Amino acid sequence: MKGVIKGALAEELANSSRMKKEYEKVLKKLPEGCLAVRKIRGHKYYYLVKRTDKKVKYIYKGKISDEERKKYEEAKMLRAKYRNLLSKVKKQIRFLRSSLRGKEAV
Amino acid sequence: MERKQSELCIEVLRRFHKANILNDFILIGSWCVYFYKEYFSDIPYIDLTTIKTRDLDFLIDNPARIKQEVDIPELLKDLGFIISFKDSNGYIKLDHPDLILEFLVPEKGKGRDKPYPLPKLGINATALRFLNFLSDNTIKVKVEDFSLTLPHPANFALHKLIIFQRRIREEKAIKDRNTAIEILRALLNKGEENMIREVFNSVPQKWQKKIIRGLEETKEKAILEILINTNT
Repeated sequence: MKGVIKGALAEELANSSRMKKEYEKVLKKLPEGCLAVRKIRGHKYYYLVKRTDKKVKYIYKGKISDEERKKYEEAKMLRAKYRNLLSKVKKQIRFLRSSLRGKEAV
Repeated sequence: MERKQSELCIEVLRRFHKANILNDFILIGSWCVYFYKEYFSDIPYIDLTTIKTRDLDFLIDNPARIKQEVDIPELLKDLGFIISFKDSNGYIKLDHPDLILEFLVPEKGKGRDKPYPLPKLGINATALRFLNFLSDNTIKVKVEDFSLTLPHPANFALHKLIIFQRRIREEKAIKDRNTAIEILRALLNKGEENMIREVFNSVPQKWQKKIIRGLEETKEKAILEILINTNT
C-alpha cells in the first residue's frame, strides 16, 4: 500500500498525464496561424501568418468577415493560454514523478 | 500554487453565481474542508490538516429543477478549462492544471453505468450512491457577495465514515477517514455534539453500524461514546 500522501500524488500524476494529452489535442485542433492586417488606402486587408518548417509564410486573405476575424483572435488567445497551461502541466509531471521516487515519512 | 488554486476556485464560483446556477449546486468533496473555515471561525480550525486534491466536485441534487441554460465548458473556456472524457462511457470532467471540475447526481433506483446527461449545462454527471445524505442537511457559507451551499459538516463527516469502507484503494480510505475525524473533532470543539447525534440518528441502522465500525477502527473514543450512548 502507498502512504496517504504518495497515494494522493500518484492520483495527481495520473490526472496531470491525462491533462497533458488533452491540452496537446486541443492545441492541434485550433486553427493554425495568426492574422496580420495591412491598411492600404483606408482599406484593411488581412494576411494569415503561418510558420511552415523554418519559414514564415504570409497567406493573403483579403477582406474577411468579423466572424472569421473573431475566430482567429480567440484561437490566438486560447493558444497562448493552453501553451502556458501545458507547460505548467509538464512541470507538475516532473515534480510529481520526482516526489514519488522519494521516501514518505510514516 | 495554493493561493492561485483558491483564487481560481473562487472565480469559478463567481461565474456560476453570475450565470445564476450556483444555487443549483452543492459543493462536496475535499474542497468543503476549505470552505468550512467560515463555519468554524469561532474555534481553532485549520483546513490544511486534511489533504485537498484538485477535484472540485459539485452535487446537483435535483437536475430537473435547473432552469437556466448555461454552457459551462464555454463559460470557463477563457480560464483555460478543457473538456476531458474520463473513460469509454464518456463521463465529462473539466480539466485545468489547478482544478478538475466534476459533476455528480444522486443515484436512484437500480443505478446506471452511463453518464447522466445535463443538456442545459452542456455537460454530463456521474450518478453515485449515498449522495442524498449530503444534500439532506446543508449549510450556506458566505463567499464574497454570494453564498455557497455545502453539506452540514456532520453529514459530510459521517458520509466519509460510511464511504471510506467502500474504497478499493486503501490510501484513499485512510484519507477519507482522517478527514472525517478532523471534522468531527472540530464539531465537538464547537459544541455541536447534539447535531452529530441528530444526524447519526437520522440514518438507517445499517449505516449506523458502518459508522460505528469505522470509528472503532480509528479508536476515536470521544466521538464513539457520543454515538454509542445515542444508540442504546
